[in-house]
Amino acid sequence: MSEINDHGLWPWLALIFFGFLPSEVWRILSVFLARGIDESSPWLAFVRAVATALLAGVVGKLLLSPNGALATLPLWGRVGPLAVGMIAYFAIRRSIFAAIVAGEAAIIAAGYWAR
Amino acid sequence: MSGANPVTDPAILAEAAEDLGGRSRLAWFMEGARQAMAGPMLVVAVSLLSVGGLARDAGFSVEVAVASTILLWAGPAQVLFFGAVAAKTSWPVIALTISLSSVRFVPMVVSLLPMLRTKRTSLPTLLLAAHCIAVTVWAEGMRRIPLVPRDGRLPFFFGFSLICFVGTSISTALGFVLIGELPPPFAAGLLFMTPIYFVATLTRNAKRPIDRWALILGLAVAPLTEAFAPRGLDLMVLGLSAGTGAWLIQRHLDGRAGA
Repeated sequence: MSEINDHGLWPWLALIFFGFLPSEVWRILSVFLARGIDESSPWLAFVRAVATALLAGVVGKLLLSPNGALATLPLWGRVGPLAVGMIAYFAIRRSIFAAIVAGEAAIIAAGYWAR
Repeated sequence: MSGANPVTDPAILAEAAEDLGGRSRLAWFMEGARQAMAGPMLVVAVSLLSVGGLARDAGFSVEVAVASTILLWAGPAQVLFFGAVAAKTSWPVIALTISLSSVRFVPMVVSLLPMLRTKRTSLPTLLLAAHCIAVTVWAEGMRRIPLVPRDGRLPFFFGFSLICFVGTSISTALGFVLIGELPPPFAAGLLFMTPIYFVATLTRNAKRPIDRWALILGLAVAPLTEAFAPRGLDLMVLGLSAGTGAWLIQRHLDGRAGA
């Protein structure tokens, strides 16, 4: 699909009109939504819970219907390393770094194992 | 209030809520930049490496790939954009899919902005701050911003965000050049960075049961919405249902504590 680069401005316009603006409109809207909300509002606990659940959902999506190289692994090879990482997190003084190192080691090992 | 450390001393933090905690704005900007460099920037940079590779596969130039990082500032939306272009999806459908995936910024911006702004913050500044909010900056911000005195928060936030933008711009370009060269297990490792980092960060952020339950329910409901909710809306359905569930559990716990 290299023809997209043969049209000068077109890739930039495509990025701005079909990528940037449809996405940014929500951030702009949120600035106005946030206006009436105070930092101590009980609503904020709910909004934060929705945001947290959404993020967890992004993780679930990435692991359940993966793209690219992640898709070469079976389900256990994607969910298992997440569990390994979180065990390391709790075992090693609630360290995010430990979770990443252990999880990454597990998934790379799973990658070679599953080949 | 010299002497005690304003970043770590809660008594001084409470008292200094309306000032800069004895530091200049520039010092808070640099402090934000320093904290980003100490870890979060690396993680978000690594997670954006794959976007560069995707952009190349879709036939875009490295400049457009980097611009997508700065303008969209949303890894999943970038993956959607380049993936959909590569699959020759029609442009209106691409725009709609991107827009639906970015609805998730609403609760993030609405929960973080009230912590950042002061009464004097201008609209352009708020819009710029909202643009900087993406999952990593949000998750790290929710934990770090409350420790910064009120008037130092925006400089801190912009310093933190700027470093994340610089790091990811470099990594997007790097990914554009490198991703095809990696053996598959390591490429899978790069893509796995986002899931493990998010779950660990959210776990560390969770101070109250509502936060923990939002995380647990969000992960638990994911297979259901993935299977049954309409494409594009699945994340919103998941966020609202799991978020409401967590909120109800907290209410139940509060009620029991009060009785």
